[in-house]
Amino acid sequence: MTKKCLALLCAPLLLAALVSCDTSSFGNISQHIGTAMTVVDQTSRASRPITDEEEYYVGRAVAAKILGSYQLTTNAQLTRYVNLIGRTVALNSDKPFTYGGYHFAILETNEINAFAAPGGTIFITSGMIRTTASEDELAAVLAHEVAHICKRDGIAAIKSARWTEALTVIGATAARNYTSGEVSQLVSLFEGSIDDVFKTLVVNGYGRSQEYAADESAAQTLAKCGYDPRALLSFLKRLEQRSGSSGGGIMATHPATGDRIENVSGKIPSTAPIHPRAIEARAARYGAAVR
Amino acid sequence: MMKKAIFLSLIIVFTAAAALADTVTVITKENAIREYAKFFAPVKATVRYNDRLEALSMEGDWYKVKYGPSIGYIHRTAVEKRAVAQPASYARKGSSVSQSEAALAGKGFNPQVEASYKRQHPEMKYGLVDSVEHYPVPERDIAQFIVAGGLRQP
Repeated sequence: MTKKCLALLCAPLLLAALVSCDTSSFGNISQHIGTAMTVVDQTSRASRPITDEEEYYVGRAVAAKILGSYQLTTNAQLTRYVNLIGRTVALNSDKPFTYGGYHFAILETNEINAFAAPGGTIFITSGMIRTTASEDELAAVLAHEVAHICKRDGIAAIKSARWTEALTVIGATAARNYTSGEVSQLVSLFEGSIDDVFKTLVVNGYGRSQEYAADESAAQTLAKCGYDPRALLSFLKRLEQRSGSSGGGIMATHPATGDRIENVSGKIPSTAPIHPRAIEARAARYGAAVR
Repeated sequence: MMKKAIFLSLIIVFTAAAALADTVTVITKENAIREYAKFFAPVKATVRYNDRLEALSMEGDWYKVKYGPSIGYIHRTAVEKRAVAQPASYARKGSSVSQSEAALAGKGFNPQVEASYKRQHPEMKYGLVDSVEHYPVPERDIAQFIVAGGLRQP
């Protein structure tokens, strides 16, 4: 919008220049337009948000950090199954495509948790998978994480002052490659950004409103997929029952499960009943992959 | 003399306006132009980040686009409309990407920053991240999974 406004402001100036100019100076016109457009572009860039490409690089670093604390599963069948559900869910989400695409991986731990690294890499623990009771419930967990990606909740955890500082370095040069001093500054800001996101994902959790919105979005996505959106509720109820036995993982980083249930209960879309043959097929493949 | 200047300037302004209105830029690493507006439709062409496509129309969540000789569909979340276009003289030779866009695309937290960060933190498990990203999930398998589970085709 800002770009459009600036372009509109520049347009009369450009036209005035064109009308008043002599044909002998016509050779410079395209250069003047280019310069004006560059000014518009640079001005609008001064306060731009993080691009999808930058989000991807932050997400890769966050994922690398998570994988420093957890082991990836060696269960090939389960990995394939989770990826197929995850990709199905992502295709039905608000943002089926991210810069680097969606990827799903299983962390081998009893901890009940799931993380969405910015850009599209989603981790789910084997403890969380064992807490689900059906493919639809597993899809509900993945849909919740995909919603965090779509809403860019992870990237929103980066302190605004840090990004503003990064923009001053980014905007200081027109070159694609940075000098060693600029790289050093950017790496330091990159590292700080990774810490901001990692702390939010693993230690502090997102805000209550972000979690509620992710639940609501997950219910919609499940319905679009043809999964039973009530599976989100049944999963949350089971999670609530387990909250007594496990205080860590998702219990530490998410709002009280009872509050999540209360929030999403009235927001489950109504859908047509699922065909018994589909229920049977999903139960069979869930049983084969999970149990 | 003055009339000639106005005429030529109008041509430039209209050409620039046309470039602004009908172009979308790919914002994913790689994507596909499909035969029809569906996720699993046959692929007519592969496009990459920053490729510019001529937008012909919009059908639901899909742009109908032209890329080279191929006409097909690409999902709206795989592209973006960029309001700022550059005159042809500013574009790189042999490329449909302007220098300005290329610079913006490569700036910020980019591969150069990641490489430098990796050198400072060899303990970070980037190798595992690469293996997660390269885990193959063929489209055909997703389509079959959807059908077998009685799910809806997106």
